[in-house]
Amino acid sequence: MDKTTHFGYKQVAESEKAAKVAEVFHSVAAQYDLMNDLMSAGLHRLWKRFAVAQAGLRPGMKVLDVAGGTADLTRLFLKEVGETGTVLLTDINFSMLREGRDRMLNEGWTPPTVQCDGERLPFPDNYFNCVSVAFGLRNMTHKDQALAEMNRVLKPGGRLLVLEFSKVWKPLEPAYDLYSFKLLPLMGKLIARDAASYQYLAESIRMHPGQEELKTMMETAGFAKVSYHNLTAGVVALHKGFKV
Amino acid sequence: LISPGLITAALIERSLNHLLLQSPGATEALRRHAGRSVRFDLTLAQYDCRIADDGCFSEAVVDAPDAIIRPTPALVARLPFFGREALRHAEYSGDPALLATLDRVFKQLNWDVEADLAPLVGDIAAHRLHALGRDTLAGIAHTFSAFGRNASEYMVEEAELMARGVDVARFNHAVDVLADDAARLDARLRLLESRQPLQDAHPRIA
Repeated sequence: MDKTTHFGYKQVAESEKAAKVAEVFHSVAAQYDLMNDLMSAGLHRLWKRFAVAQAGLRPGMKVLDVAGGTADLTRLFLKEVGETGTVLLTDINFSMLREGRDRMLNEGWTPPTVQCDGERLPFPDNYFNCVSVAFGLRNMTHKDQALAEMNRVLKPGGRLLVLEFSKVWKPLEPAYDLYSFKLLPLMGKLIARDAASYQYLAESIRMHPGQEELKTMMETAGFAKVSYHNLTAGVVALHKGFKV
Repeated sequence: LISPGLITAALIERSLNHLLLQSPGATEALRRHAGRSVRFDLTLAQYDCRIADDGCFSEAVVDAPDAIIRPTPALVARLPFFGREALRHAEYSGDPALLATLDRVFKQLNWDVEADLAPLVGDIAAHRLHALGRDTLAGIAHTFSAFGRNASEYMVEEAELMARGVDVARFNHAVDVLADDAARLDARLRLLESRQPLQDAHPRIA
């Protein structure tokens, strides 16, 4: 029998999770940026800028944006690495990748975009100076495998940035739960006409490892000097680790 | 909820590299030491980095750094007013060749404030803001310097809590002379004491 994994609060066969996550993102892709702005009151832009500031990028560097979706990080990375650098936008979901690619083309950027699975990256070993995954690791079936793949494609000394929802500061939990399970699905229903996807978002955040757990996972995957920084009282955390 | 290390490291890395890229010849000099590691020991936080192939600093995992730079409180206090001059107040240890390069590079670092402000506020405003900031810092430095001079003058001349340098030097010289005289007298007395028994054995007859 196929192993099971969580899809929000539900248990599904591992082989089914990717397709179910894909359904969610196919459904929300068109309204993704608008919903991000509404759900986070624009804070997601600051979180992403903070992540890019931690990347230590300079002109000429190579960056891989895993699960880059609508290319928010990719566009910020492109400004840092300049014309001599390379930023690769990847996502497993074609709808999201198309949104990201079109946005970049509209703004005059033409970076390579690759549809691929974060758990099986089609890139050589020791190739990138920086790998980032923002709000994507949560949806991967085998997070340990994905982290190991990111470690493989990084150059020694390169850094991984994981920006992801995390465990919120304890006193804020009741308010955060109320917001996540009542308001988010309602907003999804009214704006994106899809309450179920935003219910999944809230549930998947709760099922995602907390700050310390993710730090341990990154260390197990081979990263050194792993540290994290809580943003907005732990609603989101940025983890940073180095390949040695 | 706060881990200052992550922010501090990013700030140091970005600021240092920005200054290196603005200072002609700095990255070229450091490129010769590519791969070597440097630790900035800030007491509360520690920033470990390697010199990358492009001559910039890149945060890294370092067990035994090739060079350690430890800024002192004097450096932090003087940096806004004295700029590069204040860098001599840092403590350096490690590989001499690397330290010599780092010392040379740091002394030639030059922050082009005007160039950084120009894209944000325009060329003219950037020039004026830079001049305003420079004059303000110079004014603050002058104020502190004048305050220090006045305070020392009051303590020396009015309250007589402290001695003037020249008086201390004169006093020290007098103490040295007195010590020499005392030593000579002591030697003479010892000589005289050593002759005493001979005089007692043969009293002079009038």
